[in-house]
Amino acid sequence: MEDRLREAVARSHADYTEARWEQITRSRVAFQRDQLMALESGEEAGGIVRCLVNGAWGIAVFTNPADLPRKIEEAAHLARTASGHVADPVGLAPAQVVEARHEGQMKRDFRGVPLDEKRRLAEAYNKLILGHSPQIASSSVRYTDAWRRTVYANSEGTYIEQGIPDVTLMVAAVARKNGDIQQAFESLGYAAGFDTVQGKEEEARKAAQRAVDLLGAKPVQGGTYTVILDPDLAGVFIHEAFGHICEADFLLKNEPMRKVMHVGTRFGVEYLNVVDDGYRAGERGNTPYDDEGVPWQKAYLIKNGVLTGLMHSRATAHKMNAVPTGNARAVSWEHDPIVRMRNTFIEPGTATLDEMLQGIERGLYACAAFGGQTMFEQFTFSAAYGHEIVDGKIGPMVRDVVLTGNVFHTLQNIEMIGKDFKLEGSAGGCGKGGQWPLPTTTGAPHVRVRNVTVGGR
Amino acid sequence: MDILSRATGKAESAELYEELREGITVSFNGGEIEAASSETVRGRALRVIAGGKLGFASTAGGSDEALLKSALVAASHGDPVPFQFTGRNGAAQPVPVLDPTVAQIGVDTLIRWGEEAIRRIRDEFPELIVNALLGRGTAAVLVRTSAGGAHEENRSYLSMSVSAEQIRKGDIWSVYASSSVRQATDLDRNALLDDLLRQLRWGREIVSAPTGTPPVLFLPTGLPVLLLPLMVGFSGMSVFLGTSPLKGRLGETAFDPRLSITDDGAIPYGPRSRTFDDEGVPTSSLPLVAAGVIGNFYYDLRAAALAKADSTGNGIKGSPMGGGGFRVPPGPASRNILVAPEAGSVDELIRDMKDGLVVAGVLGLGQGNIQSGAFSNNVGVGFVVKAGKVVGRVKNTMIAGNAYEVLKDGIRAIGGQTEWVFGSLSVPPILTGKVSVVTQ
Repeated sequence: MEDRLREAVARSHADYTEARWEQITRSRVAFQRDQLMALESGEEAGGIVRCLVNGAWGIAVFTNPADLPRKIEEAAHLARTASGHVADPVGLAPAQVVEARHEGQMKRDFRGVPLDEKRRLAEAYNKLILGHSPQIASSSVRYTDAWRRTVYANSEGTYIEQGIPDVTLMVAAVARKNGDIQQAFESLGYAAGFDTVQGKEEEARKAAQRAVDLLGAKPVQGGTYTVILDPDLAGVFIHEAFGHICEADFLLKNEPMRKVMHVGTRFGVEYLNVVDDGYRAGERGNTPYDDEGVPWQKAYLIKNGVLTGLMHSRATAHKMNAVPTGNARAVSWEHDPIVRMRNTFIEPGTATLDEMLQGIERGLYACAAFGGQTMFEQFTFSAAYGHEIVDGKIGPMVRDVVLTGNVFHTLQNIEMIGKDFKLEGSAGGCGKGGQWPLPTTTGAPHVRVRNVTVGGR
Repeated sequence: MDILSRATGKAESAELYEELREGITVSFNGGEIEAASSETVRGRALRVIAGGKLGFASTAGGSDEALLKSALVAASHGDPVPFQFTGRNGAAQPVPVLDPTVAQIGVDTLIRWGEEAIRRIRDEFPELIVNALLGRGTAAVLVRTSAGGAHEENRSYLSMSVSAEQIRKGDIWSVYASSSVRQATDLDRNALLDDLLRQLRWGREIVSAPTGTPPVLFLPTGLPVLLLPLMVGFSGMSVFLGTSPLKGRLGETAFDPRLSITDDGAIPYGPRSRTFDDEGVPTSSLPLVAAGVIGNFYYDLRAAALAKADSTGNGIKGSPMGGGGFRVPPGPASRNILVAPEAGSVDELIRDMKDGLVVAGVLGLGQGNIQSGAFSNNVGVGFVVKAGKVVGRVKNTMIAGNAYEVLKDGIRAIGGQTEWVFGSLSVPPILTGKVSVVTQ
């Protein structure tokens, strides 16, 4: 494929051409209650070419490798058609020409693990959950792995081959009492081998026990609280609420928002530091080279409370006079790269959890995340569970905890940052622009925020 | 030798699923075209029953041998299968799902439609940032089984979505409208824009939301808050597993008697209509709720066998909310969900509710414990009604409640006009109580 790709992009008459060919091998095991819902493996290959002509993109996606030269012509033609309608042409910031080969490391390569062993692993976790308590009504356990091998070439002479591992485990329990149904889950994901999802019995037990505990928990009372976010939830918060608006493609054609997101603006307290890091050994968000061939870097989004940088593709970097940061990622060969996060986290501070609890008369300890969504500055995310905080002490469990707010106000309202830290690549993934699930990692210490709106009855 | 014949001797039976997707898309960012794309994607999946056990494998670009081998390996470690693949007797009345004129729509036309939409919004709201996505294409789908089942169909689609964003410091909001059809004449571009512009006009002022449990009117675009838990709860697999609160309640009046919901896979040119599902079972119209009474659950072959029921033709790769395609196995999923209209226009419902909240869209849809019916969402697009008139939009507002409770005891009125939203839901506006509203 190497020669084909190099030759095809070199022959293109477009202003810029890139081609990516991917081979993905994957397997999946899923149990629900006593049912084996999925036991499968798959192998797929496909390609995408992208041409820039007079400031407009043309893109072609295909599965027949013999179509490559024809698809480049097709993409160039589409770009030419679109370019007749462009007033503000797309340009590309310079990127170094790279010739590289990279393979993610696995202690135990999941490609060599028999499907049967993957099944037995998932089945054992499933049995643990089902046997945990008579109140457990059902379970869901899912194991997935995927090896994504990409070959990338562009008309500037960059050529990159990468092999990226991805392994995930999700263990969920459903508890039922009379008509009430509660669920709880733990979810893990790594750019690593099979070994990283072995020995996770404690996670299975935790999920089962929490589902049972939630049966006895009251729905949270809606209102405004001082909230302590646990590291899982604080990580999701920084990804959802802040990370997404630091993706520069969102600002590309958005003059007013570019002013709001001006580098140098103070967004939070002095001790707030937020990072998007392209590579940390074994982490799920790893992107050694992005899908435009740009090498990774560790980028501070917020340093000492001040906005220091955004995440860029080559096009957004060109427009905003910045440097490409290696954040142009595609979820698969079916998609073109767009600006995405990688391993995104709040750096640890100095407070202990006890110090954070002090002085809260009536607050909320919000833990783990069901998910989150943003609409620009407005964000919402659901905690998997929570606890009331009464007079500085963690009290009874509450459920249906959904937090919402304005990200700029909320960052200003961060009062304390914990000295602990946890980085978490979940089994799900990030969704944007129809591309889902993209492997990402989020992380944070405990974080205390005042004046957070919590939905509820 | 084709793959099904190749499987003979190695497996008792086999089922091949194949799809070929061809289409074009144009995307507009910030009021102008950014990219034009094409796709030609062929993917396949094979299920086998070997030694009485089920195996699944999928591929794009891979060989028949590799696909068959993967499926056989999976089967060798699988569990006994409770069902058989469909046979020859699946011949169904064809459902019209192909409009050949859709394939004639060129890139230039899609670009022009996008530019016209942007111009119309900007004429009235010049400061807004407008994005749009328009696409059309065809999916050729084939399901064949070693028992003689043979189904083939070409399905067309045409889709358009437009969003308009207002960006002011401290006040950013966005409205969105979309339509997905199979027949070119069903794409009503003006209606889509009328809907978007109405929201923009309603939202000129910011007003604080009523709190407590005021009347809440869910517009069709907001109604998935209440319908999503039901789409999970009516799945025959959720019922069998005991994770659905509807388990064991067939025939029970679990909803307001004015509520009727049908899952229909056979509406001519319906966005998720099809003659046969991804297991080769003919689709049909399936009443889920008839005048408040639980009528049916929906099944694929496996869930049906487990529950000792028949497949309802709901064995589909991927839920209506996304995902799917050749690489996932079929599972029970809804087709087109239709909520029967009652009476009254949106304006009349607003007039009658006097003071309350209109929900046109939420953030965080589907997050949380949806199996139980609980919802708690930020109102992304919502409006305040005072004395029967919309007076402005809300910010920092959350709604919470339980979908099953709201649809049983909380319905005040069901509107008379349905609208297609989220691709495959045809629903009227519903005025409710029993929804808590909090605001910052």
